[in-house]
Amino acid sequence: MIREQPQIADIWVYLSGSPLFALVVTLAAYQLGNLLYQRTNKNPFANPVAIAVVLIALVLYLTDMPYQKYFEGAQFVHFLLGTATVALAVPIYKGFSILKTRLIPVTVALVCGGVVSVASAVGIATFMGADAAIIGALYPKSVTAPIAMGIAERLTVSPTLTAVFAVVTGILGAILGSFILNLLGMKAWWQRGFAMGVAAHGIGTSRAFSVHPEAGLYASLAMGMHGILGAILIPLLSLYIR
Amino acid sequence: MISGLVQILLWQGLGELVSHFLIPILPGPVLGLILLLVFLILKGHANSSLLAISDAFSQHLGLLFIPAAVGVILFLPQLKAHALAVITALVVSVVLTITTTAVILRLIAGKNSNDP
Repeated sequence: MIREQPQIADIWVYLSGSPLFALVVTLAAYQLGNLLYQRTNKNPFANPVAIAVVLIALVLYLTDMPYQKYFEGAQFVHFLLGTATVALAVPIYKGFSILKTRLIPVTVALVCGGVVSVASAVGIATFMGADAAIIGALYPKSVTAPIAMGIAERLTVSPTLTAVFAVVTGILGAILGSFILNLLGMKAWWQRGFAMGVAAHGIGTSRAFSVHPEAGLYASLAMGMHGILGAILIPLLSLYIR
Repeated sequence: MISGLVQILLWQGLGELVSHFLIPILPGPVLGLILLLVFLILKGHANSSLLAISDAFSQHLGLLFIPAAVGVILFLPQLKAHALAVITALVVSVVLTITTTAVILRLIAGKNSNDP
């Protein structure tokens, strides 16, 4: 019994030192989040990423593991963000083929929506006295998280805060979207979908797909176009506002 | 699927090179995305392995930003101090963004119908 304790501790030291622990925790938490999301019929409140983040934070707290050490292992998942960003070219390409004559109206709506998104978030946070780190991370929050984090690095603000704001924005958009669009009396599915994609990127797109396939297609197109235009225009916009 | 992954990684590498030497304001992966998109439009179709890998990525895109998002635990005190400002900014901004985009689309596209 007395020799048992150090042995378990040794095993723990070995396991927590290898990337395996962080990878298993990350994937298992996501798997669990996904399961809950499917079980609740894709309720936006049961967002798999939000659930996974809470679960992992809990595990790190209980095992007394510093975040830096967790990230050393989980960076292998993190690395694929860039690859996934490049892969977004394919759904955007597919989206372009359904656009035809609508390219100009959707681009104008996208630019207006994008500017309102940045200006309102940054304006309100500044007015209410948030600090510079938070305000900076709000700029790209309506852009899909992998691209938003790339923009955050260019703006020298925290990619972590940006990712969190992006996820919360997506969840809020998915929850409030249908309600707002009904209130406005929007009837065309493609217009409803596109508005969801501009404001709430991937999470809004997933919601739009579950409401109507045409809305989903336009939402994913909006998310892709917002990603590209956001990466080009948001760094310029931030220079202008600052 | 592996050949699709190789293609994506090559475009990513090309994007990183262009970002490093020519257009430092844009992140490498975004340039990789733009280059691949232009390539696909010029070529006129995407091969099946590319479709397979991009489907896999977009289905589980959320998984990939979990490691970074967990970092929120380092910002908890700061977020708590500014909780009201952050929540107000996020909620109002998303409502205004959806409203602006939808209303402008309806104004420009004219007809409020499902007809193309």
